[in-house]
Amino acid sequence: MSWTNAVRTAVICAILIVLHYTLRPLLAWRASIDFLIIALMFGSVRMRPGLAALFGFALGLVSDSLSPGAFGAAALGMSVVGFGASWLKAVFFADNLALNGFFIFLGKWTFDLIFILVGHRVHGGELFMQIVVWSSHAAAVTALAGVLAISLLRPLMEVRTA
Amino acid sequence: MARATRLSSRVDFLLFVGCVIFSTIALVLPTQMREPIAESLRRSLVAPLVGLQSNAERWRTAWQLSEERTARLDSAVMRGFNAVALQTENDELRKLLGLGARMRTGFVPAEAVHNAVREDVVTTLTLTAGTKAGIKVYSPVVSPEGVVGLVQNADPAISIAILFSHPDFRASAMSGDGTAFGIVYPHLQQGLGGGGGYLLELRGVPFRTTLTPGMMIYTSGLGGTFPRGIPIGIVMRELKTAEGWTRTYLLQPSVNPARVTSVMVLTPQRSEVRLDNVWQRVARVDSATRNVVAAGDSLLRRAAADSARRAAAATALERPDTSARPPAVTPAATRDSVRATPRPARRDSGAVRRDSARRDSVRRDSARRDSVRRDSARRRDSTRPDTTVRRDSTYHDSPTTLR
Repeated sequence: MSWTNAVRTAVICAILIVLHYTLRPLLAWRASIDFLIIALMFGSVRMRPGLAALFGFALGLVSDSLSPGAFGAAALGMSVVGFGASWLKAVFFADNLALNGFFIFLGKWTFDLIFILVGHRVHGGELFMQIVVWSSHAAAVTALAGVLAISLLRPLMEVRTA
Repeated sequence: MARATRLSSRVDFLLFVGCVIFSTIALVLPTQMREPIAESLRRSLVAPLVGLQSNAERWRTAWQLSEERTARLDSAVMRGFNAVALQTENDELRKLLGLGARMRTGFVPAEAVHNAVREDVVTTLTLTAGTKAGIKVYSPVVSPEGVVGLVQNADPAISIAILFSHPDFRASAMSGDGTAFGIVYPHLQQGLGGGGGYLLELRGVPFRTTLTPGMMIYTSGLGGTFPRGIPIGIVMRELKTAEGWTRTYLLQPSVNPARVTSVMVLTPQRSEVRLDNVWQRVARVDSATRNVVAAGDSLLRRAAADSARRAAAATALERPDTSARPPAVTPAATRDSVRATPRPARRDSGAVRRDSARRDSVRRDSARRDSVRRDSARRRDSTRPDTTVRRDSTYHDSPTTLR
Protein backbone atom coordinates (compact mmCIF):
# COMPACT_ATOMS: atom_id res chain seq x y z
CA MET A 1 0.00 0.00 0.00
CA SER A 2 1.43 3.31 -1.05
CA TRP A 3 1.66 6.24 1.28
CA THR A 4 -1.11 8.02 -0.58
CA ASN A 5 -3.43 5.12 -0.13
CA ALA A 6 -2.36 4.75 3.47
CA VAL A 7 -3.24 8.38 4.12
CA ARG A 8 -6.55 8.01 2.32
CA THR A 9 -7.38 4.93 4.32
CA ALA A 10 -6.38 6.68 7.52
CA VAL A 11 -8.55 9.67 6.70
CA ILE A 12 -11.53 7.51 5.85
CA CYS A 13 -11.08 5.49 9.00
CA ALA A 14 -10.81 8.69 11.02
CA ILE A 15 -14.03 9.99 9.48
CA LEU A 16 -15.77 6.72 10.27
CA ILE A 17 -14.50 6.81 13.84
CA VAL A 18 -15.75 10.37 14.23
CA LEU A 19 -19.11 9.32 12.81
CA HIS A 20 -19.23 6.56 15.41
CA TYR A 21 -19.08 9.14 18.19
CA THR A 22 -21.29 11.75 16.60
CA LEU A 23 -23.88 10.26 14.29
CA ARG A 24 -24.47 7.10 16.29
CA PRO A 25 -25.51 8.86 19.53
CA LEU A 26 -27.73 11.16 17.50
CA LEU A 27 -29.52 8.28 15.82
CA ALA A 28 -29.66 6.20 19.02
CA TRP A 29 -31.22 3.22 17.30
CA ARG A 30 -31.78 0.03 19.19
CA ALA A 31 -29.80 -1.83 16.50
CA SER A 32 -27.30 0.87 15.71
CA ILE A 33 -24.62 1.21 13.07
CA ASP A 34 -21.16 0.31 14.29
CA PHE A 35 -18.89 2.67 12.37
CA LEU A 36 -15.86 1.35 14.26
CA ILE A 37 -16.37 -2.08 12.72
CA ILE A 38 -16.74 -0.51 9.27
CA ALA A 39 -13.52 1.45 9.82
CA LEU A 40 -11.80 -1.70 11.03
CA MET A 41 -12.95 -3.68 7.98
CA PHE A 42 -11.89 -0.87 5.65
CA GLY A 43 -8.51 -0.68 7.19
CA SER A 44 -8.00 -4.40 7.68
CA VAL A 45 -8.41 -5.37 4.04
CA ARG A 46 -5.63 -2.92 3.17
CA MET A 47 -3.20 -4.07 5.85
CA ARG A 48 -1.32 -7.14 6.72
CA PRO A 49 -3.12 -9.36 9.25
CA GLY A 50 -0.76 -8.47 12.04
CA LEU A 51 -1.25 -4.75 11.55
CA ALA A 52 -4.97 -5.31 11.20
CA ALA A 53 -4.98 -7.10 14.54
CA LEU A 54 -3.09 -4.17 16.09
CA PHE A 55 -5.51 -1.71 14.49
CA GLY A 56 -8.40 -3.69 15.89
CA PHE A 57 -6.76 -3.83 19.29
CA ALA A 58 -6.32 -0.06 19.28
CA LEU A 59 -9.89 0.58 18.23
CA GLY A 60 -11.08 -1.90 20.84
CA LEU A 61 -9.15 -0.12 23.56
CA VAL A 62 -10.70 3.18 22.51
CA SER A 63 -14.11 1.59 22.69
CA ASP A 64 -13.33 -0.10 26.00
CA SER A 65 -12.15 3.09 27.58
CA LEU A 66 -15.67 4.47 27.29
CA SER A 67 -17.26 1.32 28.68
CA PRO A 68 -14.93 0.16 31.41
CA GLY A 69 -17.32 -2.49 32.67
CA ALA A 70 -15.92 -4.95 30.12
CA PHE A 71 -12.51 -3.47 29.59
CA GLY A 72 -10.62 -5.62 27.07
CA ALA A 73 -13.62 -7.35 25.53
CA ALA A 74 -13.88 -4.99 22.59
CA ALA A 75 -10.11 -5.07 22.13
CA LEU A 76 -10.18 -8.83 21.94
CA GLY A 77 -13.15 -8.90 19.60
CA MET A 78 -11.76 -6.31 17.24
CA SER A 79 -8.34 -7.92 17.19
CA VAL A 80 -9.92 -11.18 16.10
CA VAL A 81 -12.16 -9.49 13.57
CA GLY A 82 -9.36 -7.36 12.13
CA PHE A 83 -6.97 -10.26 11.81
CA GLY A 84 -9.65 -12.52 10.37
CA ALA A 85 -10.82 -9.91 7.87
CA SER A 86 -7.33 -9.24 6.64
CA TRP A 87 -6.49 -12.95 6.41
CA LEU A 88 -9.74 -13.84 4.66
CA LYS A 89 -9.36 -10.99 2.24
CA ALA A 90 -5.89 -12.21 1.41
CA VAL A 91 -7.08 -15.78 0.88
CA PHE A 92 -10.35 -15.14 -0.91
CA PHE A 93 -9.92 -11.98 -2.92
CA ALA A 94 -13.03 -10.46 -4.40
CA ASP A 95 -13.89 -6.84 -5.00
CA ASN A 96 -17.58 -7.34 -4.74
CA LEU A 97 -20.04 -5.12 -2.88
CA ALA A 98 -22.17 -8.01 -1.69
CA LEU A 99 -19.12 -9.86 -0.47
CA ASN A 100 -17.89 -6.75 1.30
CA GLY A 101 -21.30 -6.39 2.88
CA PHE A 102 -21.23 -9.98 3.98
CA PHE A 103 -17.77 -9.48 5.45
CA ILE A 104 -18.91 -6.49 7.39
CA PHE A 105 -21.98 -8.37 8.61
CA LEU A 106 -19.87 -11.29 9.66
CA GLY A 107 -17.29 -9.05 11.30
CA LYS A 108 -19.86 -7.14 13.28
CA TRP A 109 -21.72 -10.22 14.38
CA THR A 110 -18.49 -11.94 15.40
CA PHE A 111 -17.39 -8.91 17.30
CA ASP A 112 -20.72 -8.74 19.14
CA LEU A 113 -20.54 -12.44 19.91
CA ILE A 114 -17.07 -12.14 21.40
CA PHE A 115 -17.90 -8.88 23.18
CA ILE A 116 -21.05 -10.29 24.77
CA LEU A 117 -19.61 -13.66 25.69
CA VAL A 118 -16.36 -12.33 27.07
CA GLY A 119 -17.87 -9.31 28.75
CA HIS A 120 -20.44 -11.45 30.67
CA ARG A 121 -22.97 -8.66 30.34
CA VAL A 122 -26.11 -10.69 29.66
CA HIS A 123 -27.18 -14.21 30.45
CA GLY A 124 -29.79 -16.81 29.59
CA GLY A 125 -32.64 -15.87 27.29
CA GLU A 126 -31.51 -12.31 27.10
CA LEU A 127 -28.13 -13.48 25.83
CA PHE A 128 -29.84 -15.53 23.15
CA MET A 129 -32.03 -12.62 22.13
CA GLN A 130 -29.07 -10.29 22.06
CA ILE A 131 -26.98 -12.59 19.87
CA VAL A 132 -29.67 -13.83 17.55
CA VAL A 133 -31.90 -10.81 17.22
CA TRP A 134 -30.20 -7.58 18.18
CA SER A 135 -26.69 -8.44 17.10
CA SER A 136 -27.98 -9.74 13.80
CA HIS A 137 -29.98 -6.57 13.29
CA ALA A 138 -27.04 -4.39 14.22
CA ALA A 139 -24.80 -6.41 11.90
CA ALA A 140 -27.24 -6.03 9.05
CA VAL A 141 -27.57 -2.29 9.58
CA THR A 142 -23.81 -1.97 9.84
CA ALA A 143 -23.35 -3.99 6.67
CA LEU A 144 -25.77 -1.78 4.82
CA ALA A 145 -24.01 1.35 6.02
CA GLY A 146 -20.67 -0.23 5.09
CA VAL A 147 -21.85 -1.08 1.58
CA LEU A 148 -23.10 2.46 1.19
CA ALA A 149 -19.78 3.87 2.38
CA ILE A 150 -17.79 1.55 0.09
CA SER A 151 -19.83 2.48 -2.94
CA LEU A 152 -19.34 6.17 -2.14
CA LEU A 153 -15.62 5.90 -1.42
CA ARG A 154 -14.68 3.28 -3.99
CA PRO A 155 -12.88 5.75 -6.28
CA LEU A 156 -10.60 6.68 -3.40
CA MET A 157 -9.84 3.18 -2.25
CA GLU A 158 -7.45 0.66 -3.53
CA VAL A 159 -7.85 -2.96 -2.53
CA ARG A 160 -4.76 -4.81 -1.57
CA THR A 161 -4.09 -7.94 -3.58
CA ALA A 162 -2.57 -11.01 -2.07
CA MET B 1 11.18 -14.68 -0.95
CA ALA B 2 9.32 -17.61 0.54
CA ARG B 3 11.31 -17.18 3.71
CA ALA B 4 10.38 -13.51 3.90
CA THR B 5 6.76 -14.38 3.39
CA ARG B 6 6.87 -17.00 6.11
CA LEU B 7 8.58 -14.52 8.39
CA SER B 8 5.96 -11.86 7.82
CA SER B 9 3.24 -14.43 8.40
CA ARG B 10 4.82 -15.38 11.67
CA VAL B 11 5.10 -11.73 12.63
CA ASP B 12 1.44 -11.21 11.79
CA PHE B 13 0.50 -14.22 13.84
CA LEU B 14 2.67 -13.10 16.74
CA LEU B 15 1.11 -9.66 16.64
CA PHE B 16 -2.31 -11.18 16.66
CA VAL B 17 -1.44 -13.45 19.55
CA GLY B 18 0.03 -10.51 21.39
CA CYS B 19 -3.14 -8.51 20.88
CA VAL B 20 -5.23 -11.40 22.15
CA ILE B 21 -3.02 -11.85 25.17
CA PHE B 22 -3.09 -8.17 26.04
CA SER B 23 -6.84 -8.09 25.59
CA THR B 24 -7.23 -11.08 27.84
CA ILE B 25 -4.95 -9.50 30.43
CA ALA B 26 -7.07 -6.34 30.24
CA LEU B 27 -10.14 -8.45 30.75
CA VAL B 28 -8.87 -10.21 33.82
CA LEU B 29 -7.35 -7.16 35.43
CA PRO B 30 -9.00 -6.13 38.68
CA THR B 31 -11.21 -3.07 38.53
CA GLN B 32 -8.86 -0.83 40.52
CA MET B 33 -6.14 -1.53 37.96
CA ARG B 34 -8.13 -1.32 34.72
CA GLU B 35 -9.92 1.88 35.68
CA PRO B 36 -6.76 4.05 35.74
CA ILE B 37 -5.85 2.72 32.30
CA ALA B 38 -9.28 3.54 30.91
CA GLU B 39 -9.20 6.93 32.59
CA SER B 40 -5.82 7.76 31.15
CA LEU B 41 -7.09 6.80 27.71
CA ARG B 42 -10.21 8.94 28.13
CA ARG B 43 -8.12 11.90 29.20
CA SER B 44 -5.60 11.63 26.39
CA LEU B 45 -6.25 9.75 23.19
CA VAL B 46 -9.99 9.37 23.45
CA ALA B 47 -10.65 12.83 24.91
CA PRO B 48 -11.67 14.40 21.56
CA LEU B 49 -13.96 11.48 20.86
CA VAL B 50 -15.46 11.75 24.33
CA GLY B 51 -16.11 15.43 23.65
CA LEU B 52 -17.76 14.61 20.34
CA GLN B 53 -19.91 11.94 21.92
CA SER B 54 -21.02 14.15 24.80
CA ASN B 55 -21.88 16.94 22.36
CA ALA B 56 -23.88 14.53 20.24
CA GLU B 57 -25.68 13.27 23.33
CA ARG B 58 -26.44 16.85 24.32
CA TRP B 59 -27.83 17.61 20.88
CA ARG B 60 -29.98 14.57 21.01
CA THR B 61 -31.25 15.42 24.47
CA ALA B 62 -32.00 18.97 23.36
CA TRP B 63 -33.82 17.67 20.32
CA GLN B 64 -35.85 15.27 22.41
CA LEU B 65 -36.60 17.97 24.96
CA SER B 66 -37.63 20.33 22.20
CA GLU B 67 -39.93 17.72 20.71
CA GLU B 68 -41.30 16.92 24.13
CA ARG B 69 -41.80 20.58 24.92
CA THR B 70 -43.53 21.17 21.61
CA ALA B 71 -45.76 18.17 22.19
CA ARG B 72 -46.54 19.38 25.71
CA LEU B 73 -47.32 22.85 24.40
CA ASP B 74 -49.54 21.39 21.69
CA SER B 75 -51.34 19.31 24.28
CA ALA B 76 -51.81 22.34 26.51
CA VAL B 77 -53.17 24.41 23.64
CA MET B 78 -55.48 21.56 22.65
CA ARG B 79 -56.67 21.22 26.23
CA GLY B 80 -57.27 24.95 26.31
CA PHE B 81 -59.37 24.80 23.16
CA ASN B 82 -61.26 21.82 24.49
CA ALA B 83 -61.84 23.52 27.82
CA VAL B 84 -63.40 26.56 26.17
CA ALA B 85 -65.52 24.39 23.90
CA LEU B 86 -66.54 22.15 26.80
CA GLN B 87 -67.43 25.10 28.98
CA THR B 88 -69.57 26.60 26.22
CA GLU B 89 -71.24 23.26 25.58
CA ASN B 90 -71.73 22.73 29.29
CA ASP B 91 -73.44 26.08 29.69
CA GLU B 92 -75.65 25.39 26.72
CA LEU B 93 -76.61 21.94 27.95
CA ARG B 94 -77.34 23.31 31.41
CA LYS B 95 -79.71 25.84 29.89
CA LEU B 96 -81.27 23.13 27.78
CA LEU B 97 -81.72 20.95 30.86
CA GLY B 98 -83.44 23.81 32.62
CA LEU B 99 -85.70 24.37 29.63
CA GLY B 100 -86.52 20.68 29.47
CA ALA B 101 -87.39 20.61 33.15
CA ARG B 102 -89.75 23.53 32.67
CA MET B 103 -91.38 22.10 29.57
CA ARG B 104 -91.63 18.62 31.10
CA THR B 105 -93.08 16.93 28.03
CA GLY B 106 -93.68 17.41 24.36
CA PHE B 107 -90.19 18.03 23.08
CA VAL B 108 -87.39 16.12 21.41
CA PRO B 109 -83.82 17.11 22.21
CA ALA B 110 -81.48 17.10 19.24
CA GLU B 111 -78.00 18.11 18.33
CA ALA B 112 -77.69 20.79 15.68
CA VAL B 113 -75.06 19.92 13.09
CA HIS B 114 -73.92 22.82 11.00
CA ASN B 115 -73.27 22.34 7.33
CA ALA B 116 -69.78 21.29 6.32
CA VAL B 117 -69.69 24.12 3.80
CA ARG B 118 -68.89 27.30 5.66
CA GLU B 119 -71.66 29.85 5.19
CA ASP B 120 -71.57 33.54 5.89
CA VAL B 121 -75.15 33.28 7.01
CA VAL B 122 -76.32 30.05 8.58
CA THR B 123 -79.80 29.39 7.23
CA THR B 124 -80.23 25.65 7.74
CA LEU B 125 -79.27 23.12 10.36
CA THR B 126 -79.22 19.36 10.37
CA LEU B 127 -80.82 17.91 13.47
CA THR B 128 -79.87 14.50 14.84
CA ALA B 129 -83.48 13.43 15.36
CA GLY B 130 -86.19 12.58 12.90
CA THR B 131 -89.64 11.18 12.49
CA LYS B 132 -88.78 8.17 14.62
CA ALA B 133 -88.44 10.54 17.54
CA GLY B 134 -91.75 12.23 16.77
CA ILE B 135 -90.53 15.14 14.72
CA LYS B 136 -92.73 16.31 11.88
CA VAL B 137 -92.46 18.93 9.21
CA TYR B 138 -93.05 22.45 10.58
CA SER B 139 -92.21 21.37 14.12
CA PRO B 140 -90.84 24.42 15.95
CA VAL B 141 -87.16 24.35 16.86
CA VAL B 142 -86.29 26.26 20.02
CA SER B 143 -83.32 26.79 22.28
CA PRO B 144 -83.15 28.10 25.83
CA GLU B 145 -82.83 31.61 24.40
CA GLY B 146 -85.85 31.41 22.14
CA VAL B 147 -86.96 30.63 18.60
CA VAL B 148 -84.38 28.97 16.36
CA GLY B 149 -86.45 27.93 13.36
CA LEU B 150 -88.71 25.18 12.16
CA VAL B 151 -88.31 21.76 10.61
CA GLN B 152 -88.45 21.75 6.84
CA ASN B 153 -87.65 18.11 6.04
CA ALA B 154 -88.01 15.21 8.41
CA ASP B 155 -86.36 11.88 7.70
CA PRO B 156 -86.53 8.87 10.01
CA ALA B 157 -83.21 9.57 11.68
CA ILE B 158 -82.41 13.19 10.89
CA SER B 159 -84.24 16.31 9.95
CA ILE B 160 -83.40 19.59 8.30
CA ALA B 161 -84.48 22.81 9.93
CA ILE B 162 -84.55 26.28 8.45
CA LEU B 163 -83.47 29.02 10.78
CA PHE B 164 -85.06 32.40 11.26
CA SER B 165 -82.37 33.74 8.97
CA HIS B 166 -83.79 31.71 6.08
CA PRO B 167 -85.71 33.82 3.53
CA ASP B 168 -88.73 31.53 3.87
CA PHE B 169 -89.03 31.93 7.63
CA ARG B 170 -92.16 33.61 9.04
CA ALA B 171 -93.56 33.72 12.55
CA SER B 172 -96.55 35.43 14.07
CA ALA B 173 -95.35 37.64 16.88
CA MET B 174 -96.53 39.97 19.58
CA SER B 175 -95.07 42.42 21.98
CA GLY B 176 -94.56 41.40 25.57
CA ASP B 177 -97.58 43.36 26.78
CA GLY B 178 -99.77 41.93 24.05
CA THR B 179 -100.63 45.32 22.59
CA ALA B 180 -98.96 44.85 19.22
CA PHE B 181 -99.03 41.96 16.82
CA GLY B 182 -97.13 41.42 13.61
CA ILE B 183 -95.24 38.99 11.44
CA VAL B 184 -91.55 38.35 11.85
CA TYR B 185 -89.42 38.13 8.69
CA PRO B 186 -85.68 37.77 8.26
CA HIS B 187 -84.00 41.08 7.65
CA LEU B 188 -82.41 40.65 4.24
CA GLN B 189 -81.81 44.14 2.96
CA GLN B 190 -78.58 44.93 4.79
CA GLY B 191 -77.09 41.48 4.42
CA LEU B 192 -77.28 38.96 7.17
CA GLY B 193 -74.10 38.01 8.89
CA GLY B 194 -72.50 41.33 8.23
CA GLY B 195 -71.72 43.93 10.78
CA GLY B 196 -75.21 43.78 12.17
CA GLY B 197 -75.22 40.01 12.45
CA TYR B 198 -78.50 38.16 12.22
CA LEU B 199 -81.44 40.55 12.29
CA LEU B 200 -85.19 40.20 11.97
CA GLU B 201 -88.06 42.46 11.01
CA LEU B 202 -91.39 42.74 12.75
CA ARG B 203 -93.79 43.85 10.04
CA GLY B 204 -97.45 44.72 10.08
CA VAL B 205 -97.56 46.40 13.47
CA PRO B 206 -100.60 48.73 13.61
CA PHE B 207 -99.66 52.33 13.07
CA ARG B 208 -101.28 53.44 16.30
CA THR B 209 -98.95 51.14 18.27
CA THR B 210 -95.44 52.26 19.03
CA LEU B 211 -92.82 49.83 20.31
CA THR B 212 -89.90 51.11 22.30
CA PRO B 213 -86.37 49.83 21.77
CA GLY B 214 -85.50 47.05 24.17
CA MET B 215 -89.00 45.61 24.20
CA MET B 216 -89.06 41.82 23.93
CA ILE B 217 -91.05 40.24 21.11
CA TYR B 218 -92.60 36.78 21.52
CA THR B 219 -94.43 34.33 19.37
CA SER B 220 -98.14 35.01 19.52
CA GLY B 221 -99.38 31.50 18.93
CA LEU B 222 -101.45 32.60 15.97
CA GLY B 223 -101.08 30.39 12.95
CA GLY B 224 -100.56 27.24 14.95
CA THR B 225 -96.92 26.64 14.15
CA PHE B 226 -95.19 28.26 17.09
CA PRO B 227 -96.83 28.12 20.50
CA ARG B 228 -97.42 31.41 22.23
CA GLY B 229 -94.74 32.88 24.43
CA ILE B 230 -91.39 31.91 22.91
CA PRO B 231 -88.93 34.81 22.80
CA ILE B 232 -87.97 35.92 19.30
CA GLY B 233 -85.91 39.02 19.82
CA ILE B 234 -85.62 42.55 21.10
CA VAL B 235 -86.81 45.69 19.33
CA MET B 236 -83.85 47.71 18.10
CA ARG B 237 -85.49 50.53 16.19
CA GLU B 238 -88.23 51.34 13.74
CA LEU B 239 -87.58 50.88 10.04
CA LYS B 240 -88.84 53.45 7.59
CA THR B 241 -90.99 51.80 4.97
CA ALA B 242 -93.20 52.99 2.14
CA GLU B 243 -96.29 51.62 3.84
CA GLY B 244 -98.06 54.32 5.75
CA TRP B 245 -100.59 52.26 7.66
CA THR B 246 -98.30 49.83 9.46
CA ARG B 247 -94.99 50.02 11.21
CA THR B 248 -91.94 47.81 10.76
CA TYR B 249 -89.39 47.27 13.50
CA LEU B 250 -85.88 45.87 13.39
CA LEU B 251 -85.28 43.07 15.90
CA GLN B 252 -82.15 41.67 17.45
CA PRO B 253 -82.78 37.91 17.68
CA SER B 254 -82.48 36.19 21.02
CA VAL B 255 -80.57 33.31 19.45
CA ASN B 256 -77.33 33.40 17.50
CA PRO B 257 -77.72 30.59 14.94
CA ALA B 258 -73.99 30.24 14.41
CA ARG B 259 -73.57 29.17 18.04
CA VAL B 260 -76.49 26.80 18.28
CA THR B 261 -75.32 23.28 18.98
CA SER B 262 -78.20 21.74 20.92
CA VAL B 263 -81.87 22.45 20.38
CA MET B 264 -85.30 21.18 21.28
CA VAL B 265 -87.91 20.33 18.71
CA LEU B 266 -91.45 20.80 19.95
CA THR B 267 -93.82 18.02 19.07
CA PRO B 268 -97.26 18.81 17.66
CA GLN B 269 -98.89 18.09 21.05
CA ARG B 270 -96.70 20.68 22.66
CA SER B 271 -97.20 23.19 19.89
CA GLU B 272 -100.86 23.46 20.81
CA VAL B 273 -100.08 24.41 24.39
CA ARG B 274 -98.97 27.85 25.40
CA LEU B 275 -95.43 28.11 26.69
CA ASP B 276 -95.97 31.12 28.91
CA ASN B 277 -94.86 29.18 31.97
CA VAL B 278 -91.65 28.11 30.28
CA TRP B 279 -90.18 31.46 29.57
CA GLN B 280 -90.68 33.30 32.85
CA ARG B 281 -90.73 36.79 31.50
CA VAL B 282 -93.64 36.04 29.25
CA ALA B 283 -95.58 34.74 32.21
CA ARG B 284 -94.99 37.92 34.13
CA VAL B 285 -96.01 40.09 31.21
CA ASP B 286 -99.10 37.99 30.61
CA SER B 287 -100.07 38.18 34.24
CA ALA B 288 -99.88 41.95 34.09
CA THR B 289 -101.92 41.93 30.89
CA ARG B 290 -104.62 39.80 32.49
CA ASN B 291 -104.75 42.13 35.47
CA VAL B 292 -105.17 45.13 33.25
CA VAL B 293 -107.99 43.41 31.38
CA ALA B 294 -109.65 42.33 34.60
CA ALA B 295 -109.44 45.83 35.99
CA GLY B 296 -111.03 47.18 32.83
CA ASP B 297 -113.86 44.68 33.15
CA SER B 298 -114.58 45.59 36.73
CA LEU B 299 -114.73 49.26 35.82
CA LEU B 300 -117.26 48.46 33.14
CA ARG B 301 -119.30 46.43 35.59
CA ARG B 302 -119.11 49.25 38.08
CA ALA B 303 -120.28 51.78 35.52
CA ALA B 304 -123.16 49.49 34.54
CA ALA B 305 -124.18 49.07 38.14
CA ASP B 306 -124.08 52.83 38.68
CA SER B 307 -126.30 53.47 35.71
CA ALA B 308 -128.72 50.79 36.91
CA ARG B 309 -128.84 52.37 40.33
CA ARG B 310 -129.51 55.76 38.86
CA ALA B 311 -132.26 54.36 36.71
CA ALA B 312 -133.81 52.84 39.81
CA ALA B 313 -133.59 56.17 41.58
CA ALA B 314 -135.24 57.90 38.63
CA THR B 315 -138.07 55.38 38.75
CA ALA B 316 -138.49 56.08 42.43
CA LEU B 317 -138.81 59.79 41.70
CA GLU B 318 -141.72 59.13 39.42
CA ARG B 319 -143.52 57.48 42.38
CA PRO B 320 -143.19 59.95 45.28
CA ASP B 321 -145.60 58.02 47.56
CA THR B 322 -143.60 54.89 47.49
CA SER B 323 -140.35 56.75 47.69
CA ALA B 324 -141.52 58.53 50.87
CA ARG B 325 -140.70 55.58 53.04
CA PRO B 326 -137.70 56.67 55.04
CA PRO B 327 -137.15 53.62 57.25
CA ALA B 328 -136.59 51.40 54.24
CA VAL B 329 -133.77 53.43 52.76
CA THR B 330 -132.37 55.94 55.16
CA PRO B 331 -131.07 53.81 58.01
CA ALA B 332 -129.21 51.60 55.60
CA ALA B 333 -127.80 54.58 53.83
CA THR B 334 -126.68 55.97 57.13
CA ARG B 335 -124.94 52.78 58.10
CA ASP B 336 -123.35 52.50 54.72
CA SER B 337 -122.13 56.02 54.81
CA VAL B 338 -120.41 55.32 58.09
CA ARG B 339 -118.92 52.08 56.85
CA ALA B 340 -117.95 53.34 53.49
CA THR B 341 -115.85 56.28 54.49
CA PRO B 342 -112.38 54.62 54.14
CA ARG B 343 -113.34 52.35 51.28
CA PRO B 344 -112.72 54.53 48.26
CA ALA B 345 -109.00 54.60 49.02
CA ARG B 346 -108.88 50.81 49.39
CA ARG B 347 -110.77 50.33 46.19
CA ASP B 348 -108.34 52.51 44.28
CA SER B 349 -105.28 50.71 45.55
CA GLY B 350 -106.92 47.39 44.84
CA ALA B 351 -107.28 48.30 41.22
CA VAL B 352 -103.56 48.85 40.95
CA ARG B 353 -102.16 45.81 42.72
CA ARG B 354 -104.45 42.99 41.87
CA ASP B 355 -103.29 39.49 41.08
CA SER B 356 -106.44 37.68 41.98
CA ALA B 357 -108.62 39.87 39.90
CA ARG B 358 -111.75 37.85 40.35
CA ARG B 359 -111.82 37.95 44.13
CA ASP B 360 -111.19 41.65 44.19
CA SER B 361 -113.74 42.28 41.56
CA VAL B 362 -116.32 40.45 43.67
CA ARG B 363 -115.47 42.59 46.62
CA ARG B 364 -115.43 45.58 44.41
CA ASP B 365 -118.85 44.77 43.03
CA SER B 366 -120.31 44.42 46.45
CA ALA B 367 -118.66 47.63 47.47
CA ARG B 368 -119.97 49.22 44.35
CA ARG B 369 -123.49 48.50 45.41
CA ASP B 370 -122.74 50.13 48.68
CA SER B 371 -121.03 52.99 47.01
CA VAL B 372 -124.22 53.96 45.27
CA ARG B 373 -125.82 54.42 48.59
CA ARG B 374 -122.67 55.86 50.03
CA ASP B 375 -122.41 58.38 47.26
CA SER B 376 -125.97 59.34 47.72
CA ALA B 377 -125.44 59.70 51.44
CA ARG B 378 -122.36 61.83 50.86
CA ARG B 379 -124.17 64.01 48.47
CA ARG B 380 -126.97 64.36 50.92
CA ASP B 381 -124.54 65.40 53.58
CA SER B 382 -122.88 67.88 51.37
CA THR B 383 -126.19 69.38 50.47
CA ARG B 384 -127.53 69.60 53.98
CA PRO B 385 -124.76 68.91 56.41
CA ASP B 386 -126.64 69.84 59.56
CA THR B 387 -129.75 67.92 58.89
CA THR B 388 -130.56 64.35 59.56
CA VAL B 389 -131.84 61.99 56.96
CA ARG B 390 -135.25 62.85 55.78
CA ARG B 391 -137.66 61.36 53.37
CA ASP B 392 -137.22 64.07 50.75
CA SER B 393 -133.45 63.60 50.79
CA THR B 394 -133.96 60.68 48.50
CA TYR B 395 -135.76 62.98 46.21
CA HIS B 396 -132.80 65.35 46.14
CA ASP B 397 -130.25 62.50 45.63
CA SER B 398 -131.78 61.44 42.44
CA PRO B 399 -129.36 61.58 39.48
CA THR B 400 -131.70 63.74 37.54
CA THR B 401 -131.67 66.32 40.29
CA LEU B 402 -127.88 66.29 40.64
CA ARG B 403 -127.25 66.46 37.00
